[in-house]
Amino acid sequence: MAELNETIHQSVRLRVMAALVSLQPGDEVDFSYLRDLLDVTDGNLGAHLRKLEDAGYIQLNKTFVERKPRTFISATSEGRRVFQEHVEALESIIKSK
Amino acid sequence: MDISPNEAEEALEAIQIMTQKTRHSIASSGAHISLIITGIVWMIGFLATQFLQGVIVFYIWVGASVLGAALGFMLNIRNNKRMRSPTAGATAKRIGAIWVLLAVYCLAALAVTWPLDGMQLTVLIILFVLVGWLVMGLLLSIISIWPGLIIIALVLIGYFFLPDYFYLWLAILGGGGMIALGLYIRFRW
Repeated sequence: MAELNETIHQSVRLRVMAALVSLQPGDEVDFSYLRDLLDVTDGNLGAHLRKLEDAGYIQLNKTFVERKPRTFISATSEGRRVFQEHVEALESIIKSK
Repeated sequence: MDISPNEAEEALEAIQIMTQKTRHSIASSGAHISLIITGIVWMIGFLATQFLQGVIVFYIWVGASVLGAALGFMLNIRNNKRMRSPTAGATAKRIGAIWVLLAVYCLAALAVTWPLDGMQLTVLIILFVLVGWLVMGLLLSIISIWPGLIIIALVLIGYFFLPDYFYLWLAILGGGGMIALGLYIRFRW
């Protein structure tokens, strides 16, 4: 049976994963795009992204675009797998109600 | 980790909302920019066509179109830098090829049907552009087909039923409609 994932379940991290998993595998979004989409502050998002990165669920790709530093974020295949498991666990809790 | 069924339901709802928001955001990325700019160009150009005469109309159309195309290109490039995709290059090439082929087909059709009056020429060019829009919608975002179909309907209504006010009709309903739709996508979608 699928299990809930404590790292993912936190509200901001859950929404981060939902946004990243809805992209095509390999697609990356800019930090500011994700911040605007989630309506959170830079610091808040940065802290949650670090936790997800440490868990191996997302990948941060730091690069330069027109000499400006940019961070692109994508879900790893492990992140996609555990997110799917988390969703299945949530669905099974509702079904068992 | 244990949570109640209510908490699970809330979490699933949050996931669903976020997934939908992300898909809408990707599907509409840049669409509002193109819609607003094209709407402004239409409004200026068709108002000039309705109320002015002579070579000035041609210069207004060329000036508005060139400025609009340059502005749209710059804003879309800036907007597209927020997402990177390994398959984007191939998709962009296919989209470019579709527009080039459509432009060639449009020119061929105009050459075969020539001579045309101003209204016929306007309607044919708009219809070709909107066919391109529909193809883009089928490829990239099904939902964006609807504004294209509405604009086609408005253009045909104006052409067949309001020939005396055709350009005014296109300026207000076509151009104004595009601006309104672009603003709606930007702020409410």
